[in-house]
Amino acid sequence: MIELEGIEKTYDSGGVVTPVLRGVSFRVGAGEYVAIMGTSGTGKTTLMNILGCLDKPTRGRYSFEGTDMIALDDDTLSHFRNHKIGFVFQQFDLLERTTALKNVMLPLLYADEYPDDAQERAEKALAAVGLADRVHYKPNQLSGGQQQRVAIARALINNPHLLLADEPTGNLDSKSGTEILAIFKQLNREGRTIILVTHDQAVAEHANRIITLKDGTIADDRAVAQPHDAEAELAIFSKGENR
Amino acid sequence: MRLSRIAGEGVRALAAHKLRTFFMMVGTIVGIAALTVILAIGKGTQREVMKSVNAFGARLIKINAGGGKGYTKPQPGVVTLKLEDADAIRSAITGWDIVTCVAQKGAVPAKAGDRQCETAVFAVDSDWHEAMEWPAKEGEEIAPEDLATMAHVCVLGTRLAKTLFGEDNPVGSDIQIGNVRFRVKGVLIHHDASPGGEDENHRVVIPLTTGLRRLYNQNHLTYIRVRMKNADDVPATAEQIRRLLHERHHVTPPETDDFSIVTAKEVADAARGISGTLTALLAALAGLGLLVGGVVMMNILLISVTERTREIGLRRALGATRQAIFVQFLTESLSVTVIGAVFGGALGWGVSVLLPRFVKVITVISWEPFALAVVFALGVGLIFGVQPARRAARLHPVEALR
Repeated sequence: MIELEGIEKTYDSGGVVTPVLRGVSFRVGAGEYVAIMGTSGTGKTTLMNILGCLDKPTRGRYSFEGTDMIALDDDTLSHFRNHKIGFVFQQFDLLERTTALKNVMLPLLYADEYPDDAQERAEKALAAVGLADRVHYKPNQLSGGQQQRVAIARALINNPHLLLADEPTGNLDSKSGTEILAIFKQLNREGRTIILVTHDQAVAEHANRIITLKDGTIADDRAVAQPHDAEAELAIFSKGENR
Repeated sequence: MRLSRIAGEGVRALAAHKLRTFFMMVGTIVGIAALTVILAIGKGTQREVMKSVNAFGARLIKINAGGGKGYTKPQPGVVTLKLEDADAIRSAITGWDIVTCVAQKGAVPAKAGDRQCETAVFAVDSDWHEAMEWPAKEGEEIAPEDLATMAHVCVLGTRLAKTLFGEDNPVGSDIQIGNVRFRVKGVLIHHDASPGGEDENHRVVIPLTTGLRRLYNQNHLTYIRVRMKNADDVPATAEQIRRLLHERHHVTPPETDDFSIVTAKEVADAARGISGTLTALLAALAGLGLLVGGVVMMNILLISVTERTREIGLRRALGATRQAIFVQFLTESLSVTVIGAVFGGALGWGVSVLLPRFVKVITVISWEPFALAVVFALGVGLIFGVQPARRAARLHPVEALR
């Protein structure tokens, strides 16, 4: 599904050339659940921007479902992001003073065809992340975990092939974070390809595969023998509350 | 359809940030309101000017004894305007309808029986009634025979008739004007107050010859009225008459004229006064205010683009093209100015209606200023909205999301 080959990215700020990625190559098959790990400054975010078609590499090849992404122009990439990729960010990035429903419907605005059943689809997406009763709440009336679940519903509204999450649990307490990871697990079981960017080993262990970046190159790429089970962890949380 | 949905995002952003929207809008509201009020006043003034011009008559050229510029009055002491000038005008120019002479004196004692008062005396040609469109309602008018025979007859204005005769019919009675006896031959129809507000009905009209020889003992006129067949000929003919009189009176410019010529133009200038220039100046100031409002709006929008950088990045990530971002922000500025124009127009309309109650101005409300306001608003919204919208659209998604 995704093929990266010899991806390099350098930033040029006033003559000072800083290499961030120095030849990254890997493949992600459809239905995989991959965590990209690394400490800050290792080029995780740059790699995620390239994977998300928000940025182009300085050198290298990137194909998505057989399409050469390097050659596409800005408008085509926008279109591509709209219906192939769902984004989940660390800060949730919901529009303030806007209901959960309207937030989830936002990507539909930029689709070619505005679906007649936009609202039902958004309601269904919110129900899928357990927020059926929070449809008309605004972000400031929702907890962090709930806001992130709205963001996930928004990412899924156009039924993208790839879900790209950048530190999705970074701003959440551990229970809310685990809830988000349980949703990811569920989505992956349903066949969704997920790439999760994190610096947190415990979070990365939920994925089936971990790619570790170091100084702009891949230091390690391994399958996770025993991925953490978010649902089981949640059960421990609730047991703790019952005690 | 897609664009209208994205434009809807711009409007929603305005609705979500009401205070910011108000600050962006206030310049447009005030500017448009001022503009519509000023144009309404300008139009009111224009209508007054037209009224004065119509009252004076667009086909009229009035030659007053005594010099001066603009809307002059005849000067009593000047003795150089003569009957022969009127004859010369009649033969020298073409296209005239009536050329009529008037010798006027104010505050002449008049007496009938034991009632007496002072009155204005107009010694006139027999075509004066037609020239002034002022016929007699009772009795007869001044006739050519009256001039030929220097008849001692007169026609009274309604006020004078009432002062001297009360409710009695004065026709056939005698009155004394100065030291001369006249028989009342008719009464003029009543004239409503002139634009100047004077009562023109307190007068007596007598034959020109009788006035000059028997009453005033003079041979000069107060003014000559020339009525043209065609209003378009007035300016050229007025100049022709000026040159003719320069020659006849041996006046060589830049010597001062001993006569002055008044046409509708002078009347209009006088009625317009400085208000025409003032209106233009104020309208320019209001336009300037609108531009300043536009600059303020642009600055707020630029700040808002900076504040909403993250939001722009998010929208780009969710699939918004540069064009979609551009349209969203341009819609914000256009909506601000157009909605501002609607509010400003309503405010201006209200002020235009209420202002004449408190200040001595005349306002005429018409649709044109409001149409102009919307066009102006669209222009300002476009000019000052493009820059912020372009800045928003040019943001690189990665930079915006950082």
